[in-house]
Amino acid sequence: MSGLTFRLKANPGERLNIAGLTPSKLAKLSSSEFARLKIGMGKASITVGDAFDVSGTAGDTITIEGTGAPLDFAGAGLDGGTLRINGDVGPYAGRKMSGGMLEILGNAGNYLGSGMSGGTIHVKGSGGDNLGGVLSGDRFGMAGGTIVVGGNIGVRAGDKMRRGTVIVKGKTGDGAGTRMMGGTIWAEGGFGPAPGFMMRRGSLIGPSVERLLPTFADCGVHDLLIVRILARHLKQALGPLAPPPMPFNVRKIAGDMAIIGKGEILLPA
Amino acid sequence: MSQAQNQAMNTKTVNGVTIDDTFAEAFGMSGTGIIITADTMKWARIAAVTATGFGTSVIGCGAECGIDRELSPDETPDGRPGVRVLMFGFSPDALIPQVKNRIGQCVLTSPGSACFNGLEADLKIGLGQGPRFFGDGHQTAKKLGNSRYWRVPVMDGEFVIEETCSVTTEAVGGGNLLIIGKDRAGLLETTEAAVEAIAKVNDVITPFPGGIVRSGSKVGSKYKGMFASTNEAFCPTLRGSVKSELGPGTIAVFEIVIDGLTSKAVADAMRVGLKAITDIGTAKGVTRVSAGNYGGKLGQHHYHLKDLLS
Repeated sequence: MSGLTFRLKANPGERLNIAGLTPSKLAKLSSSEFARLKIGMGKASITVGDAFDVSGTAGDTITIEGTGAPLDFAGAGLDGGTLRINGDVGPYAGRKMSGGMLEILGNAGNYLGSGMSGGTIHVKGSGGDNLGGVLSGDRFGMAGGTIVVGGNIGVRAGDKMRRGTVIVKGKTGDGAGTRMMGGTIWAEGGFGPAPGFMMRRGSLIGPSVERLLPTFADCGVHDLLIVRILARHLKQALGPLAPPPMPFNVRKIAGDMAIIGKGEILLPA
Repeated sequence: MSQAQNQAMNTKTVNGVTIDDTFAEAFGMSGTGIIITADTMKWARIAAVTATGFGTSVIGCGAECGIDRELSPDETPDGRPGVRVLMFGFSPDALIPQVKNRIGQCVLTSPGSACFNGLEADLKIGLGQGPRFFGDGHQTAKKLGNSRYWRVPVMDGEFVIEETCSVTTEAVGGGNLLIIGKDRAGLLETTEAAVEAIAKVNDVITPFPGGIVRSGSKVGSKYKGMFASTNEAFCPTLRGSVKSELGPGTIAVFEIVIDGLTSKAVADAMRVGLKAITDIGTAKGVTRVSAGNYGGKLGQHHYHLKDLLS
């Protein structure tokens, strides 16, 4: 497996937009060409060559080491291969990603995976607000793929999310699944207050909810086959990162009944 | 010289059973595989048997259907016992209404059932695309990986069905063996043994009742509107009055028809069927094995019996 390693030389003193650092984009450029790529977001017009020492050969893996700088748009547009970041990333990581693997060994900022349609994001630390959420000008939030977050996430995760799966090992902030239109958020540590506000469709799965909205209706305890299918699919796709299976019987709480109410919160019976 | 006598000159004998120097002529078909699961194997089988009923001949039934094999919980998408059924038609388009109606009427209605694609191929047709509308607007979908699953509320919970199933156009229909003998009961027992052996081969079905046909047909008829009619050359009661393929002493002929997702699967099934017959030999009245063909001019696939003797 070949690949490039980018080591930060020093703190560049401004935010860096590293959307161009994906295996498929760099494969089309010579080393001198991608060293000239502008990644600074300030007046200094910082290039890849200014900010990073680069080693290795272009291939299907990129590793970014020593992230003292705020890295925005990490893995944006990633469509294959692996981008591994040994540290934290700023907002918009995995933006519009359609394939491949984005591994973030630290924490991620806001809007992680917004507009993504495929591939997998694994954050070892925690995620920010609006994970998989919609950005102004976009019609939907996350539309496919899988995000796994090792810690907690912030507010309004999955805002206008349409498809895909989010696994949170910790807990979500307020309003997870706000305006959700499909997909699944599985919070192993439970949901914060008011999940599913104005949710149309989709599933919120977890052990507990801090405070339910009054516009959610208890549909009783059921053995829902789709939960088993989901658990088996995740086990196959994610291996040890998959959440432990829910018990066969779950309580289905439908909502948001203020609109079409085809969404659901599934809790252990 | 009769055709029967002519063939007799080129036959082989295995364990006392004469194997004609002839071939089964089979046709290219479209086939799909569908997994049906339920809370227990009993109910998975009930749903599968119902869905594949009236699926003997594509000419009269619209599709040829049968159970391929039982699946353990580890082999199914929902971790429950399941059955894989195969359906064969003239074309992918011809399979669409068959799948829709059989699954909609026989699997959706069966207690605790769920239904999934059971074949990997590029071409897709609707599986849950029709039955999902039974939900009357209460159905919801969940896309996992490349598959979309519909959840249709029903009286015992939810009917889960995958949106599409795959179709192969490399399937083969009409592989066959003709088992000929002088004792009808013993002949039937031997043929049953062959069907049981064939059932262990993956990717094939024997769509007729119990896997056995007693009414082998020829193309056409003296009557208008009949696409097929009795094959008098293999009818024992006519052997003195028509140009017969049967020798003296023949009391009955049974046919095993085999459809498979690949030509190799059909050949493998014919091979194990032939072996099961010759292993029993003449003990139960079997005298001869032959195969049905149309002179080799109609079907793309020819399976010569001599090549299948392992």
